[in-house]
Parts: sequence; C-alpha cells; structure tokens
Amino acid sequence: MDGSGRLDSAPRGLTARPMAAPQLQALAGSRNRDLGWPAPQEMLARVAILEQAAVFYTLPDPTLRVLARRMRPVTVAAGDTVLHQGEPGDSIFLLSSGRCRVVVERPAGHFVTVALLDEGDFFGDTACLLNRSQPAAVIAQTDCKLLSLDRQSVFGVLNRQGHALDELRRLADQRLRTYTDTAVQASWGMLLEEATIVGVYSPKGGSGGTCLALNLVGALSRRHPGQVLLLDLDFPYTHAALLAGLVPTTCLARTAAAPREAFEEVLLSAVLLHAGGPMILPGALKPEEADLVTPELVDRAVGVLRRTFRYVVVDLGVSMSDATLAVLDQTQHLVLIASADLSAVKSAADALTILEQLGTPPDRLTLVLNNRVPRPAVSKQALERMLGRSVDLEVPYDLDRPDRAAVDGEILSLTDPRSEITRAVGRLAEQLEATHVRTAARPQPAQPPPGER
Amino acid sequence: MTDATKTAGVGWPLRDAVRASLARRRIRAVARGAGDGLALDPMDVGIDVPGLLLEETRELGPGSPVLVRIVRALEHSGGAAAVVDGLFAPEPFRRERSARLAGAIRSERLVPWLAPLLSARELSVRQAAARALGRIGGARAADALLASIQRRGPSPRLVIELARAAPDLYLESCLKSQRRLVTRHAVAIAAGLRRRHTAVTPLLGLLRAGSKRERVAACRALGWIAEANSTRALAAALDDREWRVRAAAAKALLELAEPSVAESLQGCLADRQPAVRRAASRALRRMLARTSGENGGCL
Repeated sequence: MDGSGRLDSAPRGLTARPMAAPQLQALAGSRNRDLGWPAPQEMLARVAILEQAAVFYTLPDPTLRVLARRMRPVTVAAGDTVLHQGEPGDSIFLLSSGRCRVVVERPAGHFVTVALLDEGDFFGDTACLLNRSQPAAVIAQTDCKLLSLDRQSVFGVLNRQGHALDELRRLADQRLRTYTDTAVQASWGMLLEEATIVGVYSPKGGSGGTCLALNLVGALSRRHPGQVLLLDLDFPYTHAALLAGLVPTTCLARTAAAPREAFEEVLLSAVLLHAGGPMILPGALKPEEADLVTPELVDRAVGVLRRTFRYVVVDLGVSMSDATLAVLDQTQHLVLIASADLSAVKSAADALTILEQLGTPPDRLTLVLNNRVPRPAVSKQALERMLGRSVDLEVPYDLDRPDRAAVDGEILSLTDPRSEITRAVGRLAEQLEATHVRTAARPQPAQPPPGER
Repeated sequence: MTDATKTAGVGWPLRDAVRASLARRRIRAVARGAGDGLALDPMDVGIDVPGLLLEETRELGPGSPVLVRIVRALEHSGGAAAVVDGLFAPEPFRRERSARLAGAIRSERLVPWLAPLLSARELSVRQAAARALGRIGGARAADALLASIQRRGPSPRLVIELARAAPDLYLESCLKSQRRLVTRHAVAIAAGLRRRHTAVTPLLGLLRAGSKRERVAACRALGWIAEANSTRALAAALDDREWRVRAAAAKALLELAEPSVAESLQGCLADRQPAVRRAASRALRRMLARTSGENGGCL
C-alpha cells in the first residue's frame, strides 16, 4: 500500500513499480483487441461529442478524456428500439451520428413522440442516474452510432466532480418531467374526451388544401355528426363557407372584441351548421380582418372548441403566420397537402424541413399528394425522392367534380360516394380515427352512406 | 473472552455472534452518517465481515450516498487497504474474502485486481471473484468476465455473473459482432438471463444464422425473454435438422405458451428424439392449462 488507504492504490507487492493502465488491463486479461484503447482521432471525436452536451462541457479536460476512454461504441440499425419503456437501464448513450425518436406509450396503445434526438444529444440518463425504469422508449430513425457510458463509469469518474453528477441528476429529473408533461399534453384531449385538433396545411396555393379540409370534415362528420368543426384560417381570403354553400355573417376575428365572459357564447354563435352535419367557423370575412386573429385569440378559441367538439380541423392555408404557429402548437395531427408540380414539391420540401425543426413527430404528420390534373408533371416516385419520405395518401384526379361541387355549394364526401376525393378523405378519416383512438369512445348513431340520403 | 463469560460456560460461537452484532451496528451507524471510521478486519476468522457488509449494502445501487459513506469509512480505517492487499495474498482464504468484500462495496476501481482471480487455481477464489465482478457491474467487469469465458469456457457462474454485470446493449453488441465466435452462445444465454427486449433482434439473427450451439442458446434465451415477436421464429426452429435445437425451441415455446403454435408442437410429438417429444408435450400441456385458465376452467 502507498499509505493512502484508498481503493485505487496498489497492493503492497506492487508498490515498487506502479502499474500503468494498459499493464493492468493485460494483467486483468480483460481487454480484447477490439475493445482496446481508442485511437487518438477517435478520442478527439469522443471528447467533441461529450463537449456538445452542456453538462459535460464544463468538466475539466482530464475528466473528459477519462470519460471518453471509457465510452463504448454501439451501432444501431434504423428502426431498432434502443431502449424499451419500463425496462431498467444502467447506461447513458450519446448520439455520435444518426437520429433517434423518444416515444412514450400512453394507455390504449397510444404512442406519443416526445422528443427527437440528433447528433450530440444523450439519453438513458433518467434510468441510469435516478435508478428508475426507462420513462420512454428510444427508437433509431436512421442508422445510428452511439457512445455508451455505463453507470459505474459515470459514478466512478464524476464522483470526484460532485457538481457535475448533481447537475446530471437534475437534468435527468427535469427531462423525466418534460417527457411526462409532453406526453400528457399530447394526449390530454384523448384522456379528457376533448377534441383532436387536425391541421391541414398546403404550402402552395391552388393545391386543393381547402377542398380536402372541407371534405375531410365531411367524412369525419358522417362518423360523428354535429361534432366536427372546420376552422378556416386560410387568410386573407377564407372561402370554406362559400364552398360549402353557406353564407357567414360573423367570424372568429369579430369575436376578438367580445367581452371575456361572453367569449364562448359569441364564438359558438359564429359557427355555421351545414345540413350534412359539419360545422364551419370562418376566420375572417374581409381580408383586413385577418390581422385581428392573433395567436392569443386562436389559443382562446381552440380552448373553447376542443371542449365542444370531437374533431376540429383547421385549414391553415398557405402562410406560416403567428396564428398558424399557435395552432401548430396545439395540433395532434398535421396533414400536409402537396400537388404534383415542381413549385409545389419545392414548397412541400421546405415545409417538411420547417415542420421537422418545429418538432412535429413523423407519426403525427400525413403527407397527401393531390393530383389536380390528369397527367401530373411530377410522378409520385419523383416526388417521394425529392421529399425524402413516402406519400401517405394519394388523391387521384377527380375530373371536374371538385369544381362542380364548389359551384353547387356541395361537399363531395357527403354527396358523391364515387368521387375519388370522397374515397381518399374516407381513408384519411379512418387513419385519424385509428391514430387518435379514445380510451372511452362515446357511442354514436350510425349514419347512412351518402348515396342513400 | 472475559472470565465471567468463561465461568458462565459461554462458548466461542456466542462471543463471535456478539462481535458480529457489534460490527453490524458499526456498519449501520456509518450508513446513517453517524460515524466516519469502520475498523473492521476483513480477515477476521471469527466473523464474516464481507457477509455482513453484503447484507447491509445489498439494496444499494452503485453511486448511492450510503455506499459511498461506507467505502470512505473503510478507507479511513485501513480496511480498504487490507482488501487490496488481500486480493494478492498467497492464501486462498484471504483472496476469497477480499474478493467478496470488493463485491460487497461495489468498488469499480478494484476490477483490474479482481480480474486475475478469475484464473485462480482454487474454485472458491474464482467463484468469489466472478460474483464480485457481477455485483460491481459495468463494461470493465463484463469485459473481464467475457475474457475469462473465452479462456476457460462458459461455466454457469461466469455466464450468470456476465448477465448481471453487462451494461445496456453490451451483450447485444457482442451478439452482433463478427468476432468472439467462441463465446457467442454463452453471451446469448446471458442475454436471455437479463431478459431485455433489446436482445430479441440479435438473438433472432443468431437463431437464423448461428452454429448448432448458438441456435440452441438463442432458442433458450428467446424463451426466457418471452417476447411474442419471437414465436414465429421459434416455431420455425421446431423443424431444425438438429434435434437439440428442436428441443430447445420446444422448451422456449413452453415459456411463451402461445396457442398459435400448438399445431407445430403437435408435429413434434412424433419426433424421433425422446427429448424433443418430452419438451413438446410439456409445452402443449402448459398451453392447455393456460387456455383452460383463461376460459374459466372450461376447454
């Protein structure tokens, strides 16, 4: 012994010549060739990954190097589950390359994506540091390279840096609460029997966004009559009511002046009822009224509407305004409409990038290709290649039916069962029903198919 | 022993029991934060110091403040030094005791000193070192255990301790790795013992493309993990050309008791090998019992 009495001091017989770490490894026989010391470049890369996390950034260089040396590389294929929710865990994983998704399973098989992880992010800390089971599953979205730090290494190295360990524990605790909050927020409508908010966004004008939103409302209201509302925020010209053959007299913008205590009553009195079942709330009647629709007004209105209806479909139009962003924060599902022409594809690609940056979970985004001409300039395959993701739903060319329906003030999904649009929005409605299943669905009266009306 | 106890006829065992009780109290006091020294002699033949420490620290995870207090107290009073020295003592008794104590205090820093004991000539020392490494856990301990399995072959103790020591995705990485061909079946068993669902995919890969021994191990491991996704692959393994694989698959399906594979299992009742027939029959009985249980006792 060297007299210090510490556990990392050498035994008596070996004090004359303290053993270097590689010798210890050789003595232990525990280091295989493929688990040997990392190469200098690899060490630098690992330290760089560690430094990307704020909690490790403040650590002194020697500590970072020790941590980097103790990291174990792990590769995971796209689609593999890296961590399972509810299982115990004893390692922290740093994402060296690739992308992962953090998913919380709520009751009734309802999955909520609570975070997207990119290079430099880390996960697994909650189970590792707080001795709890994994609060969420982590699924690799792409092929990933991870660096794993086991609990023993974390404690062994960071125990000497007390504040770092405390900081990590605090972060893990905070993250646990955030995941729980996000999961609850995303599924509170389902749990509280409140409306599912579905946003319909078409990044390029003329893609048929309003037409599809209106028909989606029609398809949903066939299943839930009187419980589906279309909120038309396609500013500056909101035409959904007109397309449905309704004449609005007031709108969301005009409810801004209503006293707070009467807001709910004023708002609901502005809702128009279509004879086929759906309801429509225009955002503004005049272009200049669009400015009155502020994010605060949208928040208040959505709060009232989600308590009143089962589905609220919001036509978000083309622009990405503050009001649109306020709705996006509250949507449980987003339908992105793209038509098959070059500029629309470019706009859709940009919109997808923005939505990804805004943290829209991929499983809550449906990409719809709307064929508005018989022979589209861009094929579906080409569009998928350009967007880097598959089209979830394709609406075939529907002759002049949408235009005639607009002139006649009809909603195709309620009046024409043979229309391609009716079939497509029917499938979309089914998807929404399956994704946003309720824990205790209220029984609904059966509706006859449109042809039998 | 005092004269009074001698005259009262109190023997040595009682004296040791009293000393053990005092030692336990001292450990608990340190755990509570009421003392900063723990003067215990790990080599005391009268009381089992490692056993006492293990008893008190069994529920504590690595990094737990209580454990840290106990280790510091041991370091202050020189007990820790005796542990490190004891790991290199010539007497097997001292090495075994030191290894057990190293495991009890879960000190990862002792892993490099414990690893050579896995090659000791005495079984008791080897087992104590393996247990200690399993209890300490982490990648370094798992590396040492895996290396020992490679050198000495997969003894049950080593495989069990590997399952305990391996951190997340350690065994899964080993299963996917193209190297370590000798130990892959032992790793598969360890992965099964850990019962983590992350191991299912690599185990299914092993079941598809592994050697006979690896396929057998993969079947057993998948049975222990009991994930429904593996049922189809296990049912397919019932047609394997090796009877040991068929028997292992039937045993795994016994754990799963999935009614959808009843037909495949019935096919195994006519297998040439009695072991396969027995395993299939047991699995079918379990399945029947479960089905009748679900139907309220009615078939």
